[in-house]
Amino acid sequence: MRPYRVLILVAIVISARALFVPVLPAHAQAAGSRPQRHVFPDGVVLITQEHRASDVVALQVWFRVGGRDEAPDELGLSHMLEHMLFKGTATRPPGSIDRMIEGVGGQSNAFTSYDFTHFDVVLPADHAAEGIELLADIAVNATFDQTELDRERQVVLDEVRLTQDDPDRFLQRRLSEVAYAPTPYGQPVLGTPEIIKGLTREQLARYYTKHYVPANMVLVVVGAVEPGQIRAVTERTFGRFTGSAPERAAMPLQPDPGGRVADIPRPEKQAYLGMVWRAPSVAEEDVSATDLLTYILGDSPSSRLNVGVRDRAGLVSTIEAGYVTRQFGGHVSVTARLDAENLDKAERAVLAEVQRIQQEGVSEVERERALVTAEANYAFDIETVEGLARDYGQAETTWTLENELNYLPRLREITAGQMGAAARKYFGLTDYARVRFVPEAGGK
Amino acid sequence: MRRAALLVALILILPAAARAAELPVGRERLDNGFTVLVRANPAAPVVAVSVQIKMGSRWESAANAGISNYLQAAIVKGTTRHNGGEIAETITGLGGTLSANGDTDYSEIKGTALARFWRELLGLTAELALEPAFLPDQVEGEKEFLLARIQKRQDNAATHAFDTFFAKLYGSHPYGLPTLGTRESIPRIDTAAIVAWYRRFYRPERMVLAVSGEVPAAEVMAEARRLFRPMRATGEAPNDAVPPVRPPRASRMVIAQAAQQTQIVTGDLAPRVSDRDYAPVQVLRTVLGGGLAGRLFVELRDKQALAYTVTAFFEPTRGPGSFLVYMGAAPANGRGAEQALMKELERIRTTRISDEELRRAKAYLLGTFAMDRRTNARQAWYLAFYEIVGVGHDFPARYRRAVEVVTANDVLRVARAYLAPLTTVVLEPPQKR
Repeated sequence: MRPYRVLILVAIVISARALFVPVLPAHAQAAGSRPQRHVFPDGVVLITQEHRASDVVALQVWFRVGGRDEAPDELGLSHMLEHMLFKGTATRPPGSIDRMIEGVGGQSNAFTSYDFTHFDVVLPADHAAEGIELLADIAVNATFDQTELDRERQVVLDEVRLTQDDPDRFLQRRLSEVAYAPTPYGQPVLGTPEIIKGLTREQLARYYTKHYVPANMVLVVVGAVEPGQIRAVTERTFGRFTGSAPERAAMPLQPDPGGRVADIPRPEKQAYLGMVWRAPSVAEEDVSATDLLTYILGDSPSSRLNVGVRDRAGLVSTIEAGYVTRQFGGHVSVTARLDAENLDKAERAVLAEVQRIQQEGVSEVERERALVTAEANYAFDIETVEGLARDYGQAETTWTLENELNYLPRLREITAGQMGAAARKYFGLTDYARVRFVPEAGGK
Repeated sequence: MRRAALLVALILILPAAARAAELPVGRERLDNGFTVLVRANPAAPVVAVSVQIKMGSRWESAANAGISNYLQAAIVKGTTRHNGGEIAETITGLGGTLSANGDTDYSEIKGTALARFWRELLGLTAELALEPAFLPDQVEGEKEFLLARIQKRQDNAATHAFDTFFAKLYGSHPYGLPTLGTRESIPRIDTAAIVAWYRRFYRPERMVLAVSGEVPAAEVMAEARRLFRPMRATGEAPNDAVPPVRPPRASRMVIAQAAQQTQIVTGDLAPRVSDRDYAPVQVLRTVLGGGLAGRLFVELRDKQALAYTVTAFFEPTRGPGSFLVYMGAAPANGRGAEQALMKELERIRTTRISDEELRRAKAYLLGTFAMDRRTNARQAWYLAFYEIVGVGHDFPARYRRAVEVVTANDVLRVARAYLAPLTTVVLEPPQKR
């Protein structure tokens, strides 16, 4: 549990795994039911589900705007809004929102990604109505107090620095930027220090008014609540907004990352290797096969990369593969921590494992194990109401709720042969971008 | 995101009990002294186990620092029946994870799985705990990974600052040793030493198993009995008397390390879970550093924009534990941030907090505790932990009452007692020219 929304906020790495929902077993009936989806006349979507595993409720408002919607002079504005929305509205002075949430024992958090931005609270279930009123208020009435903005600007500049101090996060960020540049998915979600320093209240307010419109809003409510009551509260708050959504710019085709390389000198004594391939977006057919393939390749201590590159060859201290899906793009990354002298050997060893999977495919045992992993990821997700709510919010903003609910059944239909085909289609031996962190001053 | 953030891995946040209804917990102490706790929870089709052992860096010295954690790293690498690769494959097939680590006063083997595989998970956990192989090549093979982890902790500005702080606060006491060990100690630890350490500490009366999940409680209890009852102590029991910690004097130390942020860690010794001051110190922690409405966050970040991260930690597992404040600031702000922090600590030592602050802190403390205990992995950990530190699995309910009766005067009293003298470590990036 990381206590600050700001530490978590740039959840740019969100795997398709977050989307798994199996055929809801007997269990879902015990804990709740299927989610209900309703669209209000103003365009706001409400997704709600009763879930009584504990007496809390997750309330999340998702906006269909994020890093990919930013013009060159707007870089970082989605993220700045994320920081500013809980600061205050016309009727809620700075600081009062946090005091209200925490004063009833609740928690808040917010995240910015390329495709969406969302604001989350978890409250005792009997405060659900207050929570919805609060989210509706910040959705349209944020005031962007000048003093607050000036302070938060500093905080965001600090955040940029802090991210650089964490090599794992920084590597993921650099990989994504290198792989997708110059398309919007390659833009820095945190913006640039120049834009952040020069940002005015008016610019921010303009961006907010343009994008924070009802057709861009999704409210997700999961918890120990009565869906009918939630709908009534939502109707008199989110249901009465006005404004129409701007056209979202069409996304350019995802570039081929092949041959893109960056070596970055870093203060750490250990080196980092990152390799990234283009992979299917959420809407593409091959998403399921690629997801299972990624599990087999590098998701667990028994995965191929762990066994081959770490345990047998002893070339790395840690290695893993991850699959990130976006609405119009996706990538699979392999990242490792290792001694600098092993950088080349480890890269070749990763490629050898990739080649082996392309030539020999995957075994039936591996396929079944990957399916169990997928099922388990979902099961652990729904232990908390906010985990389930996030699955729904992400599905609604980048995919569809219906697809989400059918994801696991579809995964079950994937054959080992399809996975081998996906490996050959996506993981070309020269089709990857590479980012390495190299110790400064010849450290070992 | 399955990996814990660095601070979370480093610090135990142990807040208070909750409004959520407590599900019944079955507890049994087997005749060999081994304790089993089982909590059936229908929330999700998963199960989590935690085996905790009274073993850790508290019993170590500079010469063998890190041996408990080393033992734990090696224990998942093979049993007399299965090698590490087979274990890893099996657990993946259960939809779960299995890992082990060492800490100061206790060490843990923990696992998760889909609930329908609870029996397999329990069996595998017992096999690791009771039948480790400790083959020399498995043990030696871990050395390099441990050294790499030690290097990573030193490379990371925040973890390096924390480790330095604990070394300063506890001085030559074993609590000042890094639980991962050192570059000097790890190479000297061999298989024979690991085996001897295992015999000394893996004794049934020093161990607790907790299981939480969608499981049939009675069957789980019966299976745990079957698995752990044959366990017998061998070798000589360790001496559990804790050497006294020499009270620290006020000090400030500066280390230079390349980083984007200046890291400031300051704090003092603090009570343990069983102490009567535990609840008031938790309230104090929350007033200062709990949540986004906590004092330090509001004053130093929201109002003065001096720090990006600022939070208070209370680490009560040691005896004595520690209370500390951590802050990450832009290098240009470092000095001002530290001064402002000291001013806040002075203020809480001298001025009683308002009723409103007290009310928010208690609500937030109890609320976050309830939320933290919703997952089965956390439940299993809490159950075993409260048992192993001797306060019992029913501690949350008592603790909640203890938090409710804390007064502003209590907070003032513990602030005076536990926030002076301060040991401070500042990690600064070298000045760029």
